[in-house]
Amino acid sequence: MGTAVTLVDDAPPDTRQTRSATPAAKKRRGRRENLAGYLFMSPWIAGFLLLTAGPMVASLYFAFTDYNLFDSPKWIGFDNFTRMFDDPRWQKSVEVTAKYVVIGTPLKLLLALGVAMLLAQSRRGQALYRAAFYAPSLIGASVSIGFVWRTLFSDGAVVDRTQSLFGSHVGGWVGDPDWILYSLVALTVWQFGAPMVIFLAGLKQVPRELYEAAAMDGAGPFRRFWNITLPMISPVLFFNVLLETIHSFQIFGSAYVVSNSQCGPADATLVYTCYLYQQGFKNAQMGFASAMAWMLLLAVALVTAVLFWSQKKWVHYEEDAQ
Amino acid sequence: MGTRTNVERRTVLKAAGISAVTLGVAATGCGGSDGTSADGNVTIRYSWWGAEERAKKINQSIALFEKKYPKIKVKTDFQDYPSFWEKFQTQAAGGNPPDVFQNAVGFLRKYDKRGVLLDLGSQIDAGNLSLDHFRAGVVKVGQVDGKQLGVPVGSNTMALVIDKKVYEKAGVDPTAGWTWDEYFKALKTIHDKTEIPGDTGYFSIMYLYDLYLRQNGKAFFTKDGLGFEQSDLTEWWTDGYGRVKAGIVTSPKVVAQDTPKSSLSAGHGASEFTWDNFTVRYTAEGTSDYGLAPIPTTDGKDTGQYLASLMLSGSARTKHPKEVAQFIDFMVHDPAVGKIMGYDRGILATTDQYDAFKPTDVVQKEIAQYEVDTAKAGVLGTITPHPSGADTAESAFLRIGGDMALGKTKVADAVKQFFSEAQAAFSA
Repeated sequence: MGTAVTLVDDAPPDTRQTRSATPAAKKRRGRRENLAGYLFMSPWIAGFLLLTAGPMVASLYFAFTDYNLFDSPKWIGFDNFTRMFDDPRWQKSVEVTAKYVVIGTPLKLLLALGVAMLLAQSRRGQALYRAAFYAPSLIGASVSIGFVWRTLFSDGAVVDRTQSLFGSHVGGWVGDPDWILYSLVALTVWQFGAPMVIFLAGLKQVPRELYEAAAMDGAGPFRRFWNITLPMISPVLFFNVLLETIHSFQIFGSAYVVSNSQCGPADATLVYTCYLYQQGFKNAQMGFASAMAWMLLLAVALVTAVLFWSQKKWVHYEEDAQ
Repeated sequence: MGTRTNVERRTVLKAAGISAVTLGVAATGCGGSDGTSADGNVTIRYSWWGAEERAKKINQSIALFEKKYPKIKVKTDFQDYPSFWEKFQTQAAGGNPPDVFQNAVGFLRKYDKRGVLLDLGSQIDAGNLSLDHFRAGVVKVGQVDGKQLGVPVGSNTMALVIDKKVYEKAGVDPTAGWTWDEYFKALKTIHDKTEIPGDTGYFSIMYLYDLYLRQNGKAFFTKDGLGFEQSDLTEWWTDGYGRVKAGIVTSPKVVAQDTPKSSLSAGHGASEFTWDNFTVRYTAEGTSDYGLAPIPTTDGKDTGQYLASLMLSGSARTKHPKEVAQFIDFMVHDPAVGKIMGYDRGILATTDQYDAFKPTDVVQKEIAQYEVDTAKAGVLGTITPHPSGADTAESAFLRIGGDMALGKTKVADAVKQFFSEAQAAFSA
């Protein structure tokens, strides 16, 4: 909102008019232009109020009620929140989601950084490689890829046959409560293209003379990476960590499709949002589901806050150095 | 200065205009119409679950209806079973359920309690809908506390669907009145001779456990809760888990990989307890021949079976109860509709349609014969009541039973978990 209004205020003054206008007229004109600005924005404002802010306020209220979608909500205070901690399936969903975030995010970022460093060097056919590695990020979230994944990781399919070559007899990962979550991790890691592109941009910004100077002083590749590359791209790394972590917490589609909408077996892929969905839309426990949604928001906010706090220790912005 | 003001006014007006148009569009989107147009034509919405095959048949039937009632238009949509009920629940909660829809016994009390279902009684009295010519006992399935909340389109009963080729190869021949011991011995024979597990997971099917309980004087549900004890289920699931480990029942891992196909039609099990009309589906899905076998018994006679049914129900909020009643009446009584639909939704419920449709293929003939035999054997009882929340309890039973059989949850914990989830569902 603010931006649009400022745009009007900051517009280069019409010299013809400023010369002749009195302060009062100017004020009137300003107000009129503000009004026009607001009117232009009104579809967006209406959309925000009706489709985002309204439902959010409603869900905050429902979080403190017993609401089955049909009868009017009954105020029950913090019962939904205390119930969560006694609910074994809720605990399981927290465990599954935490495992997914903690394993998937670092793997994905490591792969993204590694490939970005390879692609940062000038080589033939570089554009092609970049496009090829980025492609999974474009299609990876789709339902059809979920179905492909389900098939790849079934008994006797490609993954099963490949791992048997190496003497593993786990069988397909889908349907196996000990393994199915890793097929979801594989799916998110496979989509490393988006953070890779951001890393690539960051790597291109590192001044070449730093490497040259370090090499002159006898620093090996590892030392150059640790003392130059990593600190120089730390803001980009921070950005990627933040984005991917928040994104991972919200996993739903892949878990839902790969497990054939069961989020199982044995709740092995019962990610947080999937349990929320089941409670809200299958069991009609909309109050409990709303409370879960706010709990997730709090958890993500907390993790984000910790990350922001930690960046003082490891993220280097260039102005600090000067 | 003067020109400038005009330009601004125009800008403001344009902005206002655009916003108004946008909001207007949004408003039109929200505002529902009551389905009556100026020329007196009425449109009713009809939703059901099923697949493409059923869609074709239903569309043909509707074409006949619209020919007979040119002033009524029927708009349809369909999903698969779980998606249908998720969508229906959301629509009903938003006060916008379809005017008429497919229904099943497990949902009657749930949606009656929430005032969603139309009591068709007054329409029957007004002569818009007839309950005559229904096959014996079928109409009762749609009644709750004296209200007619659904009208059956077809009846079905639980059966043991078998892979005929595998049974033949193993030399197993099920006979009426066979006992559970004989059944489990047969599973072992099948597994020994063909290496295929004999059953796809009987212990987590609510409707089968219901039959077992009924054979022993109990039932899965009472009017408002569960009709059995934790100790009953502990025994049932402990045995089931043992049979999975012994390899005579399909591993739940394989079942999960086969879904949405059945493990029976995928060739990973030799038999499955399900509704008798499902042989139509399995024949389309699988490569073997599928037939129907009797439900095993405890005492050598009583199978605990009853007739269940798919129904048509109306919405309590419909603005056209009369047209809804006329539509249901036509769909259940018209002989031509019976010929089109066949046994897709169970054996046709009215004699008008039952007599009009003579099955020509083996699968449908066998379904008809199965229900005739079951009725003749005199084992059909009154249907188990289904409390509000029965649907949620059923899916929890299936899920938790599967988890238990994977060895991830101890049987005792699984039983406790099921009882607590079922209680939550009944009180929701």
